[in-house]
Amino acid sequence: MASSNPPTLPPRATPDELDAAGRGPVLTLLVATVGWLVGAGALALIAAIKLHAPGFLADSAWLACGRVLPATANAFVFGFATQAGLGLALWLISRLGGAPLVGRGGIIVATCFWNLGLAIGVGGILLGDSTGLEGMELPRYATPILAVAGGVIVAWTAANFLARREPIRHVAEWYLLGALAAFPWLVATATLLTGFLPLRGVVAVATGAWFLQNLFTFWLGFLALAALFHFLPQLTGAPVPSRSLAVFGFWSLALCGGAAGLNRFHGGPFPAWMISVGVVASVLMLVPTLAVARNLFPLLRRHDRTRPPAPALTFFRASLAAFTLAGILGAANAGDAARHVTQFTLVTPALDQLTLWGFVGLAMLGVVHDLVPRLVGRAWPSARLARWHQRLAVAGVALLVVSLGVGGVVQGLALNQSALPFFAIVQRTVPFLGMATLANLILLTANCLLAVNLLRLLAQLGRERWAQFAKTWLTPLPEEVDP
Amino acid sequence: MNRAPWIAFGVSLALAASWLGLVLVPQLQLGSEPMVVIEATGQDYPLARSGGAQAGAAVYRACGCAVCHTQQVRPAAEGGDLARGWGRRRTVARDYLRDEPPMLGSLRLGPDLANLGARETNNVTLLFKLYDARIATPGSTMPRFLWLFTKRRVPAGFAQSPEALPLPPAFAPPPGWEVVPTDDARALVAYLRSLQSAALFYEVFPPVKPRPATNGVAPVSATNTPPTR
Repeated sequence: MASSNPPTLPPRATPDELDAAGRGPVLTLLVATVGWLVGAGALALIAAIKLHAPGFLADSAWLACGRVLPATANAFVFGFATQAGLGLALWLISRLGGAPLVGRGGIIVATCFWNLGLAIGVGGILLGDSTGLEGMELPRYATPILAVAGGVIVAWTAANFLARREPIRHVAEWYLLGALAAFPWLVATATLLTGFLPLRGVVAVATGAWFLQNLFTFWLGFLALAALFHFLPQLTGAPVPSRSLAVFGFWSLALCGGAAGLNRFHGGPFPAWMISVGVVASVLMLVPTLAVARNLFPLLRRHDRTRPPAPALTFFRASLAAFTLAGILGAANAGDAARHVTQFTLVTPALDQLTLWGFVGLAMLGVVHDLVPRLVGRAWPSARLARWHQRLAVAGVALLVVSLGVGGVVQGLALNQSALPFFAIVQRTVPFLGMATLANLILLTANCLLAVNLLRLLAQLGRERWAQFAKTWLTPLPEEVDP
Repeated sequence: MNRAPWIAFGVSLALAASWLGLVLVPQLQLGSEPMVVIEATGQDYPLARSGGAQAGAAVYRACGCAVCHTQQVRPAAEGGDLARGWGRRRTVARDYLRDEPPMLGSLRLGPDLANLGARETNNVTLLFKLYDARIATPGSTMPRFLWLFTKRRVPAGFAQSPEALPLPPAFAPPPGWEVVPTDDARALVAYLRSLQSAALFYEVFPPVKPRPATNGVAPVSATNTPPTR
């Protein structure tokens, strides 16, 4: 544990040293992130088309809609968001703590195994080996690989945290530390209870709901909030207005965030108290949501106009808006009156996407956007591609959430008219599902632009490295030169 | 002051609290819930599934049917499920004791299936749905599950297999060909027909007021009768 006595700490390393040390592991994580982002986007587009065009790719079992949708979600959460979050955690801990990253080789090897395990798991879902539990679909032969590989990365991240040369000063570090502390709980629960200690009856479903809620709050949510609390002040040049409010927001989120999961089974086959806990926690989530929003929104207004606008700021701004909206809509959707209409409709995926894509996804895109150029020490090859990536990504998320949300309300109102045949209800949702397909197409396009930009950057870098290598290789050493 | 240990400890404590409350306590309350004995027959409810139906549950899970179909009926006060004829009572935790795991679903792009076995007793109708839902419902968005069927040539001089689907002309394969359901398709249909949560016991007594059987659901008789199979 780092001493609380500053004079005993070694002096902090320069930013260049920190970036040089972090380049290998963080860049590995971020490149894998972009790969999964494009893969998940392609799967999401296939699933979205199949929801309204049942004849599309209907011959192959492994592209069944019921397999592609969970595969998409797992690729997005564990391939894209988690790896981007881990990259952010490593970089930020090193940057704020002032100590160069340690355990670089171990982290890179563990990252390779994480990607291998995830590829096996997502492939397993496509082959029909899903566990059948919403949120914990990865088959039991993949989860141990992920648990070990993820455990190694998180352990090295924690070790880096302990090796820091400065005491904790930043709100972002609290959220990172919270995410690191939560990881073992989440992984142990998911790994054990899906494959090794299966639970009986609806308890398995309740556990799945607990896992999903806590994964969203303590893992993805905390990592994304760490990004917002670091990058918003940094990019706008204004400090976080109130530290006390930040403390309050952090602890109230930790207290309320874990209990809201069963809200999604309103009216379901559970004892009433379990649903009630979920409803109460969902409403209480308003408190941390508003505390964080109250603290971060002023930063956007106080933005120093003399500085050139940072490109990644668009993502963080949209992510903050999505976080606030998700908290408010989640609380509004908790009550009986709303659930009466929205339960089992497209509103559920709309709110999930608002959190996953809007809040977490956009924050992580901002992280990729900001970190990659820093790490390699050069700007994105095409500023135009980067600009279009921002616009299309934000527009795609907005269209996705709005089309699913409005479609869900239309669907829910129709579901409650018992005289209306079911097929008529389905027909009413089709236009909205079509708009969701368009949104997924926009998102995939945006993310392909990011991938192209990244590949060009890596190609430039590779060419330069090669030229340098060839030059040193072909130049004789001084002692080999005849005098 | 070094806050790191406090933050890690506090977050672990918050997680432990929600884990104890929402994973462990449900397990203590429901994990050893006994089956209920139906007085009229002496059978345990939920009824055990046949081997075929159990295999069908695995097909249901592998195909991800739960992405679009729920298997849960809400109480009358919380939505129109009962009015729509999707069941004669709400579903409760005890209905899922034989499900490994229960596939409750959270989205209804297709109808609820908690009581499909009570509404639909015809194997061929269900096989048609799986082969092409447009046979019964033109314009349906349900996907086709073609890998659950074999399309094969009828050997010259032989009649069609008795297992071949009697498809209507617009959907039938070309002459000399037949479409036969695989074992998986038959297992899935056996599972779908086993889906019933209609038995009445004290948690779900008294039932809703009887409805005319226009939705294909048998009228309610307020006794402990087992679901008809």
